Amino acid sequence: MSLIALQATNPDINLTLIAPELIIGIAGVLVMMIDAFARRGQRWLTGGLSIVALIAAGGASIWLGAGWRGARSAFNGMIVLDDLRLSFTLIFVVVSILTILIAAAWIDIEKLPAGEFHALLLFATCGMMLMASAGDLVIVFLGLEILSIATYVMAGFRRTDVRSNESSLKYFILGSFASAFLLYGIALIYGATATATLPGTTNIATIAGRLNHSLYPPLLLAGAAMLLVGFGFKIATAPFHVWTPDVYEGAPTPVTAFMAAGPKAAGFASFMRVFVFGFPIATAAASTAGYTHKSWLGTLAIMAALTMSVGNIVAIVQNNVKRMLAYSSIAHAGYALVGFVAAGAATDAEQRSAALTSVAFYLLTYAVMNMGAFAIVTLIARGNDRRTAVEDYNGIGFLSPVLAFSLSLFLLSLLGMPLTAGFMGKVMVFTTAVRQGYLWLVVIGVLNTAVSAYYYLRLIIVMFFRERNTPWDAPRLPVSVALALVITIAGVFYLGLFPGRVLNAFGAHPSISLSIR
Amino acid sequence: MQSHLLTILILLPVIGAGTTVIYSLTPGARESHLRWIALAFTTLSFLVSLLLIQGAGGGLAAFRFAENYSWITAIGARYHLGVDGISLWLVLLTTLLMPIAILSSWTAIAQRQLTYFVLMLLLESAMIGVFVSLDLLLFYLFFEASLVPMFFLIGVWGGERRIYAAVKFFIYTAVGSLLMLVGIIALYFIHQTATGIGTFDYVVLTETLRTNVMAISPRAEFWLFLAFALAFCIKVPLWPLHTWLPDAHTEAPTAGSVILAGVLLKMGTYGLLRFNFGLFPNASRQFAPLMITLAVIGIIYGALVAMVQPDVKRLVAYSSVSHMGFVVLGLFSFTEQGMQGALYQMLSHGVSTGALFLFVGMIYERRHTRMISDFGGLARPMPWFSALFVIASLSSIGLPFLNGFVGEFLIMLGSWTSSAVQHAWIVTMLAGTGVIWAAVYMLWMLQRVVFGTKTSEANAKLSDLNLREFALVLPLMVLMLFMGVYPGPFLSRTRASIEATRRFLVNPRPAGAPDVAKGPRDNQSR
Repeated sequence: MSLIALQATNPDINLTLIAPELIIGIAGVLVMMIDAFARRGQRWLTGGLSIVALIAAGGASIWLGAGWRGARSAFNGMIVLDDLRLSFTLIFVVVSILTILIAAAWIDIEKLPAGEFHALLLFATCGMMLMASAGDLVIVFLGLEILSIATYVMAGFRRTDVRSNESSLKYFILGSFASAFLLYGIALIYGATATATLPGTTNIATIAGRLNHSLYPPLLLAGAAMLLVGFGFKIATAPFHVWTPDVYEGAPTPVTAFMAAGPKAAGFASFMRVFVFGFPIATAAASTAGYTHKSWLGTLAIMAALTMSVGNIVAIVQNNVKRMLAYSSIAHAGYALVGFVAAGAATDAEQRSAALTSVAFYLLTYAVMNMGAFAIVTLIARGNDRRTAVEDYNGIGFLSPVLAFSLSLFLLSLLGMPLTAGFMGKVMVFTTAVRQGYLWLVVIGVLNTAVSAYYYLRLIIVMFFRERNTPWDAPRLPVSVALALVITIAGVFYLGLFPGRVLNAFGAHPSISLSIR
Repeated sequence: MQSHLLTILILLPVIGAGTTVIYSLTPGARESHLRWIALAFTTLSFLVSLLLIQGAGGGLAAFRFAENYSWITAIGARYHLGVDGISLWLVLLTTLLMPIAILSSWTAIAQRQLTYFVLMLLLESAMIGVFVSLDLLLFYLFFEASLVPMFFLIGVWGGERRIYAAVKFFIYTAVGSLLMLVGIIALYFIHQTATGIGTFDYVVLTETLRTNVMAISPRAEFWLFLAFALAFCIKVPLWPLHTWLPDAHTEAPTAGSVILAGVLLKMGTYGLLRFNFGLFPNASRQFAPLMITLAVIGIIYGALVAMVQPDVKRLVAYSSVSHMGFVVLGLFSFTEQGMQGALYQMLSHGVSTGALFLFVGMIYERRHTRMISDFGGLARPMPWFSALFVIASLSSIGLPFLNGFVGEFLIMLGSWTSSAVQHAWIVTMLAGTGVIWAAVYMLWMLQRVVFGTKTSEANAKLSDLNLREFALVLPLMVLMLFMGVYPGPFLSRTRASIEATRRFLVNPRPAGAPDVAKGPRDNQSR
């Protein structure tokens, strides 16, 4: 109702600004239609169209970043255009393209309907993009639901497999629970930001402006806490991470790869936007705004320390590679949170932008190396995810050298060894955190890296230093997966050696929608 | 002037590794050709690196062959390379030992040769990079990157307990250096707070320190010193952080041990000398008594433990703990002789211990055992081997006219006159016993392995050194003699750099510079 009224008075419609989302959304519908009418031999058609659409969306967002001179927000502040959005949109594009490439082999092995998978993936991508571009809590929620519903289905995509069903159901129930938290938080914030003359608001920038005028501050705090819990679930921070290992283990491997890299990054994008810009650092520490900021920042710092530690320590005892990588993804969310905390603590726009850039860069590096690792896990797992135990990797190092060396590279990158993307990501995140005085958090992060050496190396040791007793028939390397490997390996080295260009691009247009008070 | 010599030196082995891979993909490639490619590239690197001396001339206080480009603009990291008197010989040691190590794996490495030679070449790049990097982030990158090839070398081609040794090596050294990364980042922001520009550039950092533009608070300096020193002391290794070394050295393939002892350990002492002394002079003085104590314990402990080893390779490994203790002692004496001697001892240890590992590898290849008790009476079937092995052992002991003597003598001279600790003569006397212990364990080992009665029939039929093995050890033998009788050319090139470091260390504030922080600091360091 109110939306219609708003449009009637001030139709702030700007379709250019949502071009990437539009492209993906339309492509998703097209893929569904093509799938309905295409013949059996034309499976490549939907995948090809999806990739073209993703590249187009990536191109559109690059153009929005480099060439667009117009308004930087549209739909009455519902959609914003800044670095945070553009850099994350590019991450989503990369993740989705890689997922399609990796999934191509798996879809063939499992004889699954390719078109549906691609359509769901595109809708999920559209949801992620909306989450990153949202300037309003309603759009955040909308994007989150578009993303989540598509992902629930993808997790249960292998209908005949009990584990896949379990994964899907668990994800659905806990995900809905988290969404409910989020929605309740939004409602409370709306109520708390109402003033004597104005109704409440869900616009992030406006929320920031009204913090100190809140009629009932505890409501605001409760709302922020609810949002924290909701987002915490979505990006799997400890103590809200418990669903992750089961869901990641049961979901089909390419979907796991996607979930660990894409939706997690999307969660970070809106999480950061809502908290860094919605509850920004305040000049007067004693005000409501100051208290809110201090509360969430302190909580988040502790959550970061906890997430890193829990993820890494529990990963040590895992005997299933997917489960291990699931815990590793929890740990990596923890490292990224360190950068998030730095962004929250930054006192000026330049430092905040640098911190946000570092988180985006970190998630990009994580996406690249994680997708690479999962590509190989998919190949080795074969049909029905049969071979995902650590023992299955025994001694394959010199039997399948390409796979084993690539996987080692990704593992070393996840560990954060120099020359790889993982190292640069960590350096960026830790640098910004030291800059904001979070030395203790960085020391915990570094010690966690040391812990993680144990389980990442374990897989390398198993592959190279042990002999294989059981026969090994090397999996054939399909073209699509080979392409994904080339992209990810090149990405790991490029981001690890020459991160400058990407960093500059990610930080070219600092966010505008902030108001420090 | 930008010279590209150092970049070429770093990239040559990488190109070599690429060539090996490409060659192996061509149809008709033969595995036995791979080692020739590796040998060619390492030899070429060595020849190219010789240009560094020729261009060096006399004094070497400043960095030469400098290359300085922006690398990551977002955080001000630079690709800054250069050599001075301190790093010059270490680079040469690396490039010299690499072809020897490749040659030593000629027949010892029969399986998975492609991976082996690729890893060796990549390792060389990383090691050269460590010694020539003048940007802290770049240095850290190479420092950590050198771990991975060595991890694989030990783990794949190592002895029976290779997995244990490889993991211990990796985790120990990687964990140690992680806190250094935090230190590097912290230093970056200390510089940014002082000057408004964050930098990892070592030259810029030392310059702002020396001109007193940037002052590190004593507390920060204390922790930064510790963060850096932990990484380096594990690498050295300084007692009690040495426990990874005997396992890694013993389990590594011969070439791996040569490189480990010859070059990787020097990264630790090099780091102390370059970064800890150059960046944290006050904390260095403050920590000197502790470091010297640990070094002396290491000297004696390493020697005593070496004495009771039943395994020759393990004996040589423990002797490294003792010898590297001398290096640390010399460095922290803060005297010119001591520090010069320490640098000389680094080279000399690389040469003689490298040679010793080669000899151990040779008898291992023949008998597939390294137990001292399995040998005896080798002098008769293997006269050349025995003669050269004795010379290498004597050089390790520190016999005059061989290289070991010069370094250890200078170190003790320096530590005797040192004012870094009270009662320096006691320290020197204790360290001096290390030389005696060295004679005991080495000569005793020689007596049981080379001389003595033959304990096994198998020993009687052993063949003497072949041409390749001669070629392998000959350069090292010549160097031992040369470095023993004529240390001049080496020392003259290191003096200026060492002296510059030392002067800053002893008196960090130049005369005339505003002396804000001097008073309280000096009180603390006393």
